[in-house]
Amino acid sequence: MKRLFPLFLALSLSLSACGAPTVGDVGASEQFFAMDTIMTVNVLDENGEAAVQAARAEIDRLEQMLSRTREDSVIALLNTHAGDGSALAVEPELGALLRFAQSVSQDLPGCFDITIAPVMDAWGFTREERHVPDPDTLADTLALVDWRALTVAEDDASARLEEPGMAVDLGAVAKGFAAQRAADAIRAAGGTSALLDLGGNITVLGSKPDGADWRVAVKDPQDTERQLGVVSLRDKTLSTSGGYERYFEANGITYHHILDPETGYPADSGLLSVTVVSSDPLLADALSTALFVAGRQAALDYWRSRDDFELILCGSDGVVTVTEGLTFAFRGEEHGYTCETARR
Amino acid sequence: MHFGGRSMDTPVKRPAAERRRPTIGDGVLALLVILCAAALFFGLRPASGNLLTARIVLDGVLVAEYDLNALTSPVELAVDGGAYPMVIQAEPGRIRVLESGCPSQDCVHTGWADRAGDQIICLPNRLVISLSGAEAQTDFDAVTG
Repeated sequence: MKRLFPLFLALSLSLSACGAPTVGDVGASEQFFAMDTIMTVNVLDENGEAAVQAARAEIDRLEQMLSRTREDSVIALLNTHAGDGSALAVEPELGALLRFAQSVSQDLPGCFDITIAPVMDAWGFTREERHVPDPDTLADTLALVDWRALTVAEDDASARLEEPGMAVDLGAVAKGFAAQRAADAIRAAGGTSALLDLGGNITVLGSKPDGADWRVAVKDPQDTERQLGVVSLRDKTLSTSGGYERYFEANGITYHHILDPETGYPADSGLLSVTVVSSDPLLADALSTALFVAGRQAALDYWRSRDDFELILCGSDGVVTVTEGLTFAFRGEEHGYTCETARR
Repeated sequence: MHFGGRSMDTPVKRPAAERRRPTIGDGVLALLVILCAAALFFGLRPASGNLLTARIVLDGVLVAEYDLNALTSPVELAVDGGAYPMVIQAEPGRIRVLESGCPSQDCVHTGWADRAGDQIICLPNRLVISLSGAEAQTDFDAVTG
């Protein structure tokens, strides 16, 4: 029997090697459609399944509240009552979200406005019937865009739109808000290592199971099969806005979906994409849209005025500007880009 | 003439293998173990090499699955269970949405998917085509944009 021992040992080793634990053995993952995009939630520890379900339930709850295309959502009701003088009771978390959006509009004048919904409708971006609106329609809808005419009660418990025809669209903040709340739900369920991909808005919790930083690539806006580079980080959100995400062509001109609240036309600031990296998912989401409209210089000026986010700006001039607080491995050189570091 | 440092009288310890010759049974058993190990290795290892599987999922339900590298000629699949009718085309090594009745046409504009990890998504139809198989040649965990 002794001489058979090495053979049994070899067999045992073969079996144990094949059954070695992997990340998938202790984690859970789910992909689903919500908020007009596709989302994937990965939680890579032993609390994975419960944490993933908690995150999904939270996202479903928020979609019910925030989607203006759902007739029974609070935002749809707010829009329906625009201009009738009545204040709609809202959850304080929604009141705070509306107030946050207004603060971004105040900080970056003319670059961000959640009351842009009528203009989005005029372009057909809401119902996916994209077209160039006629100038009169555009002017009429643009006159309805004014975040100051959205009144939120001091206690965040009610809100009202002051003019008939006004409407709120939370597309620029909903995914960030959802990421924030989903991350909270994952932590509450005991999850410590997670990656959430909410339609390209990436949030990472903790580190990878092996203790390493997460590595998140940033798409090349001119060829989304390629990457501008890779960011290494933990406990952060990366939110990217770019004209390549949703667009249409008419008469040889490409029109994208990020509208300038000042002109009503797609933003044309010279930037192809803006990636914001922050510990605050909501801030990252809102700023990626606002700074795409603002342009490179205004974006860097705003970055220098704060210390709670970093930037990767890809310009149509082929220059990728990365703020100094990021660990960024640039990969755009072979595709004609140059990289510069912005300092405070 | 001296041929070694050990006298002929010194007891020599012989290796165990030489104490008893292996039998045919030992050989068969060894072969069996090697075959088992090989079968486990190839059977349980992650998909790799030539395998490139496309899974087509409509609103959470698997509607078709193709091993793209096993295809020898183009295949077309009509998917009518979603909000808009669409036609998916697979051919050796790649897959795409050929036609879609959806208003945005983003899924058609995505073009061919041909690498493990690629996805084609039709939001209005809630349809996802996911490619898996050979280890994805990436050194990152996610992509923003």
